[in-house]
Order: sequence, then C-alpha cells, then structure tokens
Amino acid sequence: MSRAPRASGYFRTSYAQDLALVGTRLERTSLGMFILALLAFPFMASAFQLDLACQVFLACVGALSLMLLTGYAGQISLGHAGLMAAGAFTVGILFRETNAPFWITLPSAALVGALLGIIFGLPSLRLRGLYLAVSTLALHFVVIYLGGEYESRRGFSTGIVIDPPTLGGVAITDGRVWYFILLTAAATTLLLCVNLLRARSGRAWRAIRAHETVAEALGISIAGYKLLAFVISSAITAVAGALFAYYRGFVSVEAFSLFLTIQYLAMVIIGGMGSLLGALLGATFVTIFPYIIEIGLLALPGAQRYASLLFAVNYAGFGLVMILFLIFEPLGLVGIWHRIQSYFLLWPFKHRSASGSRR
Amino acid sequence: MQLIVNITVLAAIYALLACGYVLIYRVSRVLNMAHGEIAMLGAYLLYTTASLFVGNPFTAIAVAVVMSLTVGVLVYVLLMRKMTGEMVLAAILTTIAIGILLRGLIVLIWSAAQQHPLEALHFSNPSIGLFGGARISACAALMVVMTAVVYGGLFAFLRFGRWGVRMRAAGQNPLLAAQRGVNLNAVYALAWALSSLSGSIAGMLIALDSGLDQTMVVIGLKAFAPALVGGLDSLLGALLGSLIVAAAEVLAIHYIDPLLSDVVPFLVLIAMLIVRPWGLFGTREELDRV
Amino acid sequence: MTSALLAIEKLEVVYQRAITAVQGITLAVEAGQIVALLGTNGAGKSTTLRAISGFLGLDDARVTEGAISFKGTRIENRPPHENTRRGIVLVPERDKVFPNLTVAENLIAPVPRGTSLAEHRRREALVYQFFPRLGELKTRIGGLLSGGERQMLALASAIVCRPELLLVDELSLGLAPVVVEDLLRRLIEIRRELGITILIVEQSATVALEIADYGYVMENGRIVLDGTAERLRIHPDIQEFYLGSKSGERRNYRDVKQYRRSRRWYG
Repeated sequence: MSRAPRASGYFRTSYAQDLALVGTRLERTSLGMFILALLAFPFMASAFQLDLACQVFLACVGALSLMLLTGYAGQISLGHAGLMAAGAFTVGILFRETNAPFWITLPSAALVGALLGIIFGLPSLRLRGLYLAVSTLALHFVVIYLGGEYESRRGFSTGIVIDPPTLGGVAITDGRVWYFILLTAAATTLLLCVNLLRARSGRAWRAIRAHETVAEALGISIAGYKLLAFVISSAITAVAGALFAYYRGFVSVEAFSLFLTIQYLAMVIIGGMGSLLGALLGATFVTIFPYIIEIGLLALPGAQRYASLLFAVNYAGFGLVMILFLIFEPLGLVGIWHRIQSYFLLWPFKHRSASGSRR
Repeated sequence: MQLIVNITVLAAIYALLACGYVLIYRVSRVLNMAHGEIAMLGAYLLYTTASLFVGNPFTAIAVAVVMSLTVGVLVYVLLMRKMTGEMVLAAILTTIAIGILLRGLIVLIWSAAQQHPLEALHFSNPSIGLFGGARISACAALMVVMTAVVYGGLFAFLRFGRWGVRMRAAGQNPLLAAQRGVNLNAVYALAWALSSLSGSIAGMLIALDSGLDQTMVVIGLKAFAPALVGGLDSLLGALLGSLIVAAAEVLAIHYIDPLLSDVVPFLVLIAMLIVRPWGLFGTREELDRV
Repeated sequence: MTSALLAIEKLEVVYQRAITAVQGITLAVEAGQIVALLGTNGAGKSTTLRAISGFLGLDDARVTEGAISFKGTRIENRPPHENTRRGIVLVPERDKVFPNLTVAENLIAPVPRGTSLAEHRRREALVYQFFPRLGELKTRIGGLLSGGERQMLALASAIVCRPELLLVDELSLGLAPVVVEDLLRRLIEIRRELGITILIVEQSATVALEIADYGYVMENGRIVLDGTAERLRIHPDIQEFYLGSKSGERRNYRDVKQYRRSRRWYG
C-alpha cells in the first residue's frame, strides 16, 4: 500500500522504497531523535514521571488495538474493559492456582483474548453499528460477572495480589526496567498494527468499514476479516490487561468498569479515528489528563477543600473534554494536525477547488 | 404471589425508563446513554426542591418535574443539536460523555452520600398488603400507576395524528424529513423533553422508594436491555420487553443466585440479539440496496 | 431578472471548509418554466440544487458567497424545512424515500404548506391520480420498491408539499429509458395542471433537453454555456460532448474541450 503522494517532488521509484516505513530524510532524522529521547528519558525523569510514562505505554497498547478494531475495521466494540479484565484475570487465576511464570501467563492471556475475540466477534457477522455495540456491551457485563464470581467464590473479595514477574530469579520491580518493557510492548504493538494495515488485511478492513456490501461483492470474505479483526484486537487487549496486572501487582473487578471502556473510546476519538498516530496521541492525552486536572485544582486557592472532590471534577472534566472534541473536532487531534498542515500547504489559497489535485 | 408483585414493580421501573430510550431512538436513531444520569438528576432535583419548599410537597414535585423537562430540552439544544447530521456513533459517544459530565456535576453539587427525598418531602412509604399475602410499598404502587399513565399518554399522542409517522420518518432519513417540511429541531427537542420527563419520574419514584445515590445509573443501564428486547423504536415493545426482562431477573434471583441480578438483563439481551436483533416489535432496518 | 421566481447570483459553495464545489454561478428561473442544469459528474449541479433547498450540516457544506433569492427574499443557508415551507421542494438523487415506511406513510409524512388536514388529504388524492401505480402499492414498504416506483414515490411526496418550485436531482439515474419517458410525461403534466416551476438537474442532456425550456451547462463549478433548449440542442459543443454525435476522426480530449463563456444568445 502506498501512501498519498507528497506535495513536493518526492517520488518513490522502487518497490523497496514503496514498502519502507520512513521515506524522506526528514522523517528518518525526526524519528531517530524521537527514539533517542525515549531511550534517554528514564535516566532523567523522576519516579512519578516514569510511572506516568509507563501508564501511557500501557494505554497505547490498548488504544492501538481498539483503533484497529473500531477505527479501521469499523466494528464498534464497547467490550474493551471486559477483554482487558479477561487478560488480567487469566494472569491472576493462573498465578494463584498454578503459580505459573510470566512466559506462560502472557501467551495464555493472549490465547484467552483470542478466544473471547471470537465470541465477541460472532455478533458482528449478523449485526452492525448500534446493535453490535450493544452486544459487545452485554458480553462485557458477562465477563465482569464471571470475574466477580471467581473473586467471591475463591475468597478474593478485595482482589488478587500478584507477585512481580521474575527473570532469571530476579523480580522485576524497578521503574526503569518496567519502562523499557512497556516501551517495547507499545513499539511492538505499533509495528504489528502498521504491518497489518499495510497488508491485505488492512485493505480488507478499510473496505469493510467503507461499504460492507460492496466489499463482499468484491470478493472479500467479510466474516473472515471481521473475526480476524476481533481476534487480533482482543488478543492484544488481553495482553494489555495482563501487563497491567503485572505492573500493578493486583487484579480486581472494580478496575475494569464501563468507564475504562469509555476512556479507551475517548482515546480513539480524541486522537482521531482511522489513524494509528491518533491512537498514540489519544492514549497520551487521556492518561495525562487526570494529572493535569489535579495540578490545576491544587493550584487554585483553598486547595484542601477541593482535594476530596478531585474524582468528581475529573469525571466531569473528562466528560466535558469528550463533548468538546466530539462537537467541534470530530476528527480528533489528528484532524487538528491535518488542518494545520492544510493551512500551510494551501497558503495563500484558502480552499482547494473540487477539480484540483488531491493530497 | 409476592414474586408476581415484585415482577410487576420491576417491570414498571424498567418500562418507565425504557420508553425514554425508545422516544429518542425512534426520532433520531441516537441511543441516549445518558438516560440513567438524567433520571438520576431528576431525583436529585426533587430532593433539592423538597428541601426548598418545605411543607409544600406537591409544589416541590411540580417544580422538579418542570425542571426535568427543561433539562431534557437544554441537553438537546445546547449539546445534541450540534450533532444533527453527524455520524450516529459520534452522537452516541456524545451522550456517553454527557452522562459522565452529569455524573461528575451531580457529585460535585450534591455529594456522593445517599439522600432521602422521602423524608425531605415528609411523606411516608407504608407497606400495603395485597391478596395472597404479598406486600407492596406505596411508592412502588404509585410507580406502576404512573407507568400506565405515561404510556397511555404517549400512545394517545403518537397514534392520533400524523406526528407518530413523522417522528419515525425523522429517525429513518432526517435529511429527507427536513426536505419534506419536518422541523427536525422541534421534533428532536420534543423527544428529548418527553424522554427526560419520563426518566425523571422514574428516578424520582425510585428515590422515594429506596433512597437516592449513584447506583441509580446502573438501573438506567439495565433498563436499556428491555428497550432493545422490545424493539428500540416501539413503545409497545418496551412495555413487553420490560415484563420479560423483569420476570427473568426476579425469577433468577429467587431460584438461582441473587448476584445474577445485574447480568440477567444482558443475558436476555444477548439471546434476543442472536434470535431477532431488531427486537419484538422494532422496525427491521438495514435494507442495503447497493 | 427581477421578475424571476428564483435568482442565483455569483453563488459559491464550499464543502468541509476546504473544497469549493460551486465557484460563482449566476442563473435565473422564471415562473412556469422548466429549466435544465446540465453537466458531467462533479460539475456542481447537485450541490447547486442542495444549496437552493438548504443544507443540513451533513458534509459540512455552506454557501460562502453570493445570493439565492426566491421571490425576492434571500434564502441561502436556511434550513431545508424552512425552504419547503416557502414552496421550494427538492427531490434528491439518493435517499429519496423513507425506506422503512409504507408508500401511504411516505405520503403522510410530509408537512405541506398550509396546515389544513383536509387540504393535505386532497393533495394526497391528487397525487394518486397522477401516479395511479402508487395507489396499488399503498402498503408496500418504501425500501422494497423498484427504481421507477421509488422515483414516482419521491416525486409524489414532493408534490404533496404543494411546491411552487420543484427541484429534481438526476431523475433518470439508474432507470430504463421507457420508465424515464413515462416520468417525463408526468412531469410535464404536473407543470401544466399545477403550474409548478421545475428546475431539473441531469447528466443525460437528451432527457433534459426534451422537456426543458431553457438550459444551463455547468463544468467544474462554473456555468460555461446557457441558452434556450433549441439553441442548446444544435450547439456543436453540446452535440459533441453530451448528445454523442459522431465526428469521424479521433480527437484529443484536451484540445477540443474548450468552452468559452458565450455571450447571451438571444437576438
């Protein structure tokens, strides 16, 4: 798949060039600098900032998988938190029952995710849009119920505690090590998604999202690709849940409420549908948001009084930001970025004419 | 016998809440995920007016009702109107966001502690004995009566007059409806007002019966299952769906496991989605002519 | 010009704040006329009709310059239902009926000018006279009608609104020529009996010039030619590109496709 042609005279003249992820020298240098910054960060940041970065990376994994499913394949899913819970509980249950190490639990989580993906995805073969969303929502509640049942049956009413994963006998607890682990996880997911989208599966998903009946008429196996989207997305999400379990060292049903699903949906929307960059931007924004609110609130005079209201303000603020983005910038942060780009590319013209060249 | 009473009361709760979902969906194809929060807001408003109009409980109720109507209209005019013509998914997400915003605001204004509007109104909620040894509380009985009243009113309004057809038309093809003279904004605002009114009545009655706190949102969410089971754009379906789901839930709690109460509506929902996605009386949609 | 029922001056329409679909057109429709708007895909014809009827926030389209006047009043950027109340009714190109309502309900749904119920019923009866086939299909669901029946229903539901100006977008699209002939005849009948002015947008110049009195040709958002139907029919460029007359040798498309905004053709 080739990306849109550039405005300037950048031409791709070989297949290798076409397939390359980064083309121009500018892209290469900026990517290189970004990677350097990412690698250097843990050595300059405080423990709090490290934790924040780790949370962002965790969120990125989940956001990317949701973007794949909803933003590209067009399958609306409200069951995201349920899938993460499934991954986390797989780790918890395996750990408690069999004391399994992480190189068994993580793949198991992925497997459980994939299986659940089939179940969550089956409705998509018959239902679309709203009804699909509702069916995934219902399944979410079923998963949560099962998790709750396990907790109460086995006496973990406050949640399951998990030991940190060990590598060669050494427990991984250092913030910096986690940073790199989660960075790798996020980067791997990103690469996986990029490649899935560049391949046949990506084209099939886009076609299905654009117009399903036409896609089917073109010979694309709708059922196959829809299920594939669900399976892959759910597997990744479950792994995100599993990583979350290990990072926090704790698994409980309360952490996987509907609000978590909404947060991830917000990441996809605020970031911008149909764009992996959007998933990353959205994940960063939504993860950092509560901390910004907290800082803002504490900066106000009489901060002590507000501290107890923090959660409510967070909630209300989050809702407000979502509304603002949905009403004023439905294309999300990526949309804003493109508009800025358009403005500069088209200047001094204000509009493109309908018959003019498309970017 | 007590089981039947319980089923009827629960069905009434669900029906009152479900018709709110149906009204808005029928008219704009939007699923108002903030319905539970709006119902809750109505109850909190009643609590406030009860404290304001001490000694005048009926004034308090009347004022609270009027305020809930206004809330519905305001939510539409200020927020949802901007979403006319946008993707339905975006509109649904907007309602989710509105719900979150409302929930945060409610806690900020009234705190998360449980409130008791019943006491504020100086009403009492005696338990009434029915035949067969069953008992029902006065508020619950009132709830069943109100459900009948509300549904009766809605049926009358939508059947006698062409506006029932126009509301469905607006739901199917808003642009064409506008091109045929239907004032979409007025129709949508009306739907939102009626929806928030019925939801608030439900919220108020629930609060009077069993206290008021954040858990009301859960009931709002569960009530969405009967709406879908009956068919999202059918009032009759909402009524029937509520009976079915309520029966399933009460029986499951009684005979199997009380913890199931939150899951059963969704299990019924899943079953219906597998068998007949558009519900019992809903309009079959998605006629895809390429 | 001031006597015109509909007058458009230097109209500019922009989509999504970035794409100009209509770039300054001026045209007029006199009462009682049938005027055709011709052009190929993407010329901006449908956009013009929708601008007259009113946008709804879909596609984020807006009239950014110029004026549309109906009987002397400016109407650009007004919502569709307002313009329908004024007497301008659009028969759209796509989504022209309510797919999940029956034919009868499709004719009940419109809100006609003048709110008397009796008047509405009279209009419905009238419409069933113009389109007897619809009378046979009263309980059929709109989405299950054939293409021709759907177009009939679309026209019928537009007429129920008591329009003064009827805008028809792509009448012939996807229909067999026999069906199109039939619809055209009914359109002429409607114009004669009800005195409705008609502005019709068509890709098929043959169809349009059959019933039109006057025509405008659009290309890339501009009007490049206009004249009475007579003149347009014999204009060599129209014949070449729209009516498909042969010319023997192969010609380079770019060489030949030069339109000059011609001077007015009358006398």
